[in-house]
Parts: sequence; C-alpha cells; structure tokens
Amino acid sequence: MYRIVTKLELVSHINLFKFSAKEIAAKTKPGQFVILKVDERGERIPLTVAGADVEKGTITVVCHEVGKTTKQLGSLNEGGCIQDLLGPLGKRAEIRKFGTVLCVGGGVMVAPLHFQAKAFHEAGNMVIGVIGARTENQLIFEDKMRKVCNELYVATDDGTRGYKGLDFLKDLFKERKIDRVVAVGPIVMMKTVSEVTRPYGTPTIVNLIPIMVDGMGMCGACRVTVGGKTRFACVDGPDFDGHQVDFEELMARLKMYAPQEKLAFVFYEKGGRSL
Amino acid sequence: METGKEELRIGVFICHCGFNIGGVIDIPTVVEYAKTLPNIVCAEESLYTCSSTGLSVIKECIKKHNLNRVIVASCTPATHEYLFRKTCEEAGLNKYLFEMVNIREQSSWVHMHQPKEATEKVKDLIRMAVAKASYLEPQIEPELEINPSALVIGGGIAGMTAAMSLARQGFQVHLVEKETELGGMLRYLYELQPTGRDAAEILREAVTAVKANSNIHLHTSTLVKEVKGFFGNFDVTVQKKGSNELEQINVGTIIVATGAEDFKPVGMYGYKENEKVVTQLEFEQLLKKGELKKPKKVVMIQCVGAREKTGRTYCSRICCMVALNNALLLKKLYPDVEISMLFRDLQTYGEYEDFYHEARERFIDFIRYDPDKHPKVASKPDGKLTVTVYDVYLGAEIEIDSDLVVLSTPLVQHEDGRKLSSILKVPLGSDNFFFEAHPKLRPVDFASEGIYVCGTAHGPKDVTESIAQALAAASKAAIPMAVGKIKAEAVKASVDKDICVNCDACVVSCIFNAIEALPFGLPNVIEVNCKGCGVCAAECPMGAMQLRHFKDQQIVAAIEALLKPKKLAGLGGSFEPIILCFACQWCSYAAADLAGILRIQYPSNVRILRVPCSGRVDVLHVLKAFLNGADGVIVTGCLIGDCHYIDGNLKAKSRVDAMKKSLIALGVDPERLEIGFASSSEGQKFADMMKDFVEKIRRLGPNRLRVKEGGD
Repeated sequence: MYRIVTKLELVSHINLFKFSAKEIAAKTKPGQFVILKVDERGERIPLTVAGADVEKGTITVVCHEVGKTTKQLGSLNEGGCIQDLLGPLGKRAEIRKFGTVLCVGGGVMVAPLHFQAKAFHEAGNMVIGVIGARTENQLIFEDKMRKVCNELYVATDDGTRGYKGLDFLKDLFKERKIDRVVAVGPIVMMKTVSEVTRPYGTPTIVNLIPIMVDGMGMCGACRVTVGGKTRFACVDGPDFDGHQVDFEELMARLKMYAPQEKLAFVFYEKGGRSL
Repeated sequence: METGKEELRIGVFICHCGFNIGGVIDIPTVVEYAKTLPNIVCAEESLYTCSSTGLSVIKECIKKHNLNRVIVASCTPATHEYLFRKTCEEAGLNKYLFEMVNIREQSSWVHMHQPKEATEKVKDLIRMAVAKASYLEPQIEPELEINPSALVIGGGIAGMTAAMSLARQGFQVHLVEKETELGGMLRYLYELQPTGRDAAEILREAVTAVKANSNIHLHTSTLVKEVKGFFGNFDVTVQKKGSNELEQINVGTIIVATGAEDFKPVGMYGYKENEKVVTQLEFEQLLKKGELKKPKKVVMIQCVGAREKTGRTYCSRICCMVALNNALLLKKLYPDVEISMLFRDLQTYGEYEDFYHEARERFIDFIRYDPDKHPKVASKPDGKLTVTVYDVYLGAEIEIDSDLVVLSTPLVQHEDGRKLSSILKVPLGSDNFFFEAHPKLRPVDFASEGIYVCGTAHGPKDVTESIAQALAAASKAAIPMAVGKIKAEAVKASVDKDICVNCDACVVSCIFNAIEALPFGLPNVIEVNCKGCGVCAAECPMGAMQLRHFKDQQIVAAIEALLKPKKLAGLGGSFEPIILCFACQWCSYAAADLAGILRIQYPSNVRILRVPCSGRVDVLHVLKAFLNGADGVIVTGCLIGDCHYIDGNLKAKSRVDAMKKSLIALGVDPERLEIGFASSSEGQKFADMMKDFVEKIRRLGPNRLRVKEGGD
C-alpha cells in the first residue's frame, strides 16, 4: 500500500498527488514513469512522474480525471492509500548541457515537463518554456515553470490565454537558434512541434505513453512505430525522436479500448458500479 | 425544466388519420391524457392533421397560445415531418422545436387487434416526445458557398469524360494527370466491344475535345500533393513532376478518376521467366501494334491472381470479355491458330454472351479448371510450353503444347491511388479500390461531401461503364456547383470545452474527418464535414461531445419519461415487458414503418426511439433504460455494410457486445440487451425481430431493477 501524503486540486479535475514511496523516489529521474493500481481489482495506469523528493521519500504525479480509474484516484484524499505503485519505469530523459532547450508541455503533462525543464535549467541550459492547455482555466504549473525557464510562453487552443495554438513556434524558430526540443503533452501537440522543428533538423524528443499493461517490455501493448520499426515505449522509451514517430498510429492505438473505457466510466459515474 | 429561461409552452396535435389511427386508438382519451403532461398548453385532435385545416389549427394555436414547442402525433416523420416543420416555420417557430410521434406505422397499423394496448403505447410515446421536446433547442442551418470549379484527378477516359461534361456545363475544370500525356489505360487498348471501335479513335476524339475546351485547365505530369478545406472550398496543392514548385488550386468539388493498373503476375505460370508467357494486356499490345508472330497454339488462363482466397479476392469483371475479344481478334487474323481458354467461371453477361457463342463457333476450346488445382505451365527444351490442366468436365488431367500463354490478370489499385486516398481522406475498400458512400443509393459519391469517384479507380470496369460512371459523377458534382450554395443540416456535433478532457476519442471515432484535435487536445468540429451521425457523442466518455437535436439530455429525458411512471406503478397483476427499441432513422426505422404499411402485427410492448444512427446509442442511454426498469433494450440499425455513416452500426455492435458483459454488474441478464439489423425493405424481419425479442424477455421475466425499490 502506498500512502497519499499530499493531494492538491490544481484546477477542476486535475489533481497533484505525492505518494510516500521511498525506494521509488530514490531512483526516479525526469522522463520516467510509474504504473499504479488503485485497488485490488483496479486497472493499471501509467503516469509520468512530475517530481521526486529523495529526502522525504515521495514522488509526485499529476493526474487528470479522464476515466474510471483516474476518477477513482481523484476521489482519494490525503492519508488514503493506493494498492500498488511500480517504478521507476522507462529510460531516463537525456539531461545535459545542450545550449538552448525548448520545453513544450500541454495539459496535465506540463507537470512532468516541469521536472525535466528544472533539470535542464540546473544543467546550465538556457530554457525556453512553452505551456498550453485547451482553454485558460486548464493551465497548470505556470508559476513553477516560470521559475525554471529563462523565457515562458503560454498558449491555448481557444485563444482564451496567450497565443492561440502553436503557430507562433514557427516564428520563434525563424528568430532563434534552438539546440534541443522536448515536447511532453497531447499527441497532436507533440506532432505539431515535431513538424515545426523538422525543417530545421533540431533534435526533438517526445515522451510517449501509449496503452500499457506491465510496463516492463513483456506484453507489447505499448508498441509504437518509430522510424518504421516497432519499439516498446515502456523499455525503449518513453522518449523518442519526434521526427520518426508514427503519431497517427499511436493515436488510433490509444483509442483501441474506447468503448470499454467509456463503459467503465459511465457505469462508475452514473450506475455506481465498478466493472 | 431548463431550456434557457423561457417558460415551456407545448402544444400536442393528435391525428385520427381518418380511421387509420382513430379506428384503433382511442384518440379522445389520449388527448385528455396529453393535457395532464407537464407544460402542455393545448392538446388538439383532428381528422387529418396534414390537411390544410389541420395545418392551420397548428398555426393558430402557435399564435393563440404562444407555443414554443409543437408535437404532432400522426404518421411517420419520413413522409410528413418536412410538412409539419414547414408549418411551424410559417408560424414563426424554429423548425427544430418540433417533435413528431409516429402512432400510425408504429402503433395503430401494427397492433390493429389490440386497441387497448395500442392506446397505452401511444400515451407512452407522447409522454416521451413531450419530455424530449422540453429539451429541444432552436437551430440555425448554415449556408455554404460552392466555388463553381472542379478538380478532376486522372486523365484517362473516365477523367476526360467527367471533365468534358463539367466544362460543357460552363464550369472551370482542372484536369490533373500524372503521366506526360492523357489517355491512361485507354492508350494500351485495342478494339473495344461491343461496338468493335478502335480505342485509339475514341482516345483521339476525347483528347482533342479536352484540349480544345477553354474551360479545362490541363495539368500533365502533375501529382496532387495536399488537399485542405472542405466541400465548396477545397484548397489543392499540386506539383509538377521533377519540379520543386507547388501550385495552389481552389475548387468546389473533386472527382477521383485515377484508374487502375493491371496486376503483373511475376512468379506465376512462368511469367517473366519465359518470354512466351504474357499478360492479356501485353497480348493486346502485340495485336494492336501488329507485332505478333503467328503462333500455332495459344493457351489463355483466366483469373490469374484474381478471386484468390486472401488478398485479391475479387473478380475483375472485365477479363472474360477481354480474353474472348482478343481470342476472336486473333482468329480473324490467323483463322488456323488453335486457342484454348482455361477458365474458372466464364462470366459474359448480356450481349457479351454473343461473343462467347461466336468463340464456340470458331472452335475455341473452353476448359474449366479447378481453383484448387491450378494449371501448370512448363518450358520445354525447344522453347515451347506445355500447359497441364485438370479438366473439371472431363475429370482428367490433360496436357496442351503451346507456343504462347496469355494470362488474364485483374485490375488492381496503384500506389498513387493509395496515397491519394490518404491525401483526400476518403476510404479504400477491402479490394483497395476507392469505396463509395453507399453501393445502391450513392454509388459515385464518397461519404465526404463534394468528392466523387468514377472509372476503374472505383473497381474494375470496361470503357462503357467508366464513361457512364464518369457522366454520373460529373452530374452529381454539377448540382451543388450550379446551385452555388447549399444549406447544411443543423444536426451537427458540438463540444463543451469545459467538460472535455482532450482524450481524442471523438477525433479517432469520426470516419468523416469532421473533428480535428487542436494542439492541446481541444476537438474542433469541422461542421461542413460533419454528417450528424452522433458516433463521436456516443464515443465521448465525458458527455462533452454532443449531437445537436439528439443530445444525451434529450434522449435520456425520453427514456426516463417512458420508464419512471411504469416503475412507480409497479408490476401489477400480470407481467407485460417494457421494451425500448432504438431505431436508426435510415434503415431500421424505415423497416418498422414498412411493417406498418404492410400491416404486419407484432407485440405492442415495443417503444421505438428514433436516433440518427445506431452508432449514436450511448452506453449511458442503455444504462439509464435498465436502471429505470426497462425489461429489454434492442438497438437496431442498417444491415452491416449498408450503414449510411459507413461504420456506425459496427460501432454500435461492438458497444453492445462490450455492454452485455458489463450488465452483469447491474444484476441485469445480458440477454435483455440485443442488437439487430434490418434494411428499409425488411418490414417482416423487423416485426419478427420484435416478436422474438418480446417473447424472450417474457420468458426472462421482469427486470429486477423494475421491481426493486429505489434504483436510479
């Protein structure tokens, strides 16, 4: 059992959790993820880690309530426990001095992006941050990002805050020399960023979390096509070269169980039953 | 009820339809009942609501009572909804604030001998409509401008024909051909049947006409690179081969006429190993160019690489005729050449049968081979060929010496066609040819509006058929361009961005590419592309995506209105199952109507709720039905393969299959949920389906949740 030492509702339906997990905290680095299971009959879900405190022995994840499991997780409070927490999983992000690093994050994934941006900053990089969400009231971690970025841009899909969409990145690339790009967020965001950087050949790292089961390379559920080859996001990633990823396939694979996911959610929400 | 701030003022108009409804249903009782329902301001009956008297009563009541919702209970909306909606509009009421109840085809005509039960059913149906109407919202139908110019992709006979037809009607046409010259496959063909005209002659005429027409802008050696925009306003990027420069073209409609190529049977029957083994098209070339050295004995093999167990499973349709024609040409050229044709099933329909008879008269041998025992071709040291074949009629293997083997191979999709399918976002079928919106009703349209298909791009065809289909596609494309603008349906998807969790489920589920995900995941509905099926709404886990006029709130209101009073009333003495049937507005609803028209009787327990597509039926709707005590739920849609939204019924099926497993968690027997399919001509099948389902539910007994206290 893993105890929730902190729970913060960042915005409606997005919660930050700190779990007490000493061994995991000691080893977790930016870019890695954990798999958790809320209760005995629960679903295993992968979550990218948004922070690790070695001294306090806690890891941080930020979770959006998008389905039955995340809703159930969201219903837990400080002091409550989850059944299982497995990690750290996946390879660590490559953090060293590159020069100027552009860190782009969207939605709930701004939190794990912050974990990386902070590390890039500490490694002596000039960090340009871009954070976004579908609409203004969904933006998270803005102040935290501001602290670790030399510059920070804000964007929303509907233009209610900052730039509308990511078209402004094209101008940014015309003006600035950028040595490395890290994009963590919705698939379309990672794809859009990769397309912007492609003509410049700027190394663009995307963090992929497909459907996963074991997270240790056994089941193959998380297969992604990168450069025409099948790779497992859990052990070969989750970081991949954004210019090589087949995003369309990834998006379709992620929705493979959409009917079942909805069913579980509706039964949980409206029927009061766990499937 | 919360529909803005206005007070609800609902009027219900119940039609006798002479004796058609009034002869079975106790209308005065229904009218009195309707008056007891919430927010009803007036309830009227008339002998014929659709008569001018009946319509003016509606208009007067709208004015007199200041009605803001109108319900007509009469016949099927398929025939009369348009009229009643128009009447509402004339009285100043938005037509989307009208709701129709089908009490003739779906009650009085199908329960003719059960007046009491049929009357109860009508009360239920009206109660459901009143509940739904309370949540109806006014809608605006947007108008779209159509650019009166077309892009025709492919300069073969189909493309040239379509381009000429449109150009002659005065539209600007951009004709894009990837090769350096026009003509496509026609350039390689020789004599065309049934007229015997030389393909070169037809080609010459077509090319001359295309080049002479100033409305046609010809782009040869050009490929389509990108297509953006939508019906009426497509932005097309084309690129000349070998050049880096891109050209932009704006068009209102697009016709795909990219043709096909012949399958090269490398590795089969010694093709490419022995030069005496050629394809039918290569053989036709030899005849055409006069380069054929006189053979003594020729063997033709049909269905080479076609009608296979996997992959190219289809029949290429034209090869039997082409082979016969070429064999006859050869006989005319060298009457003493012996020809054997090895076939599986010779298919020469209509007047083409005459060519078969002529071939028999000219002593061409026809040998039927067994698809499980393919003929074998072996080279002899002297360079000649031996064909071994098991003759099905003879029941024995025979050997034929031959100095030329001709292989009839199917037409297949080419690489550029495959690429174009993803550029245009239009589907390919399992045979890899372009896939039309509906095989019978929309044979030259794609499901995406403003894009049409013709010629062999759509599947193997002869020149006559390609021309006919090209003219059809041109006519279809000309309609919106001539009108200049179209009024779009208001029933479209729309997203509530506060509830949305940017999960992309709607984006992935939409087969019409009508929903794009913005960078941070917010779905953006491209309304012009949206067909209003509601699959995305049923797929959205949060209920953020909704289909206007068929919102969850509206559907659930109808379901609860049906079931809640029944649950309160309890079971009473004997068990009468309450069955909720979702029917898609195209096929299964029409099948239910047809059952009525044919007076096919089925149990009155069924309450039909119309949805745009079975794919709209949400897990939530079914759950609400069972929680509120429905004894059975049956989802009905078009036959598999016939869905008007391509795969809505398949999505419904997978949802029902998944749901059956989950019903156990509710303590509901999975047998209480079913899915059925019926075409609009299957009234009997629909009635049988209902009868069987009601009987099954009767055996199962009442839904536990109907009897149990509390529930939802």
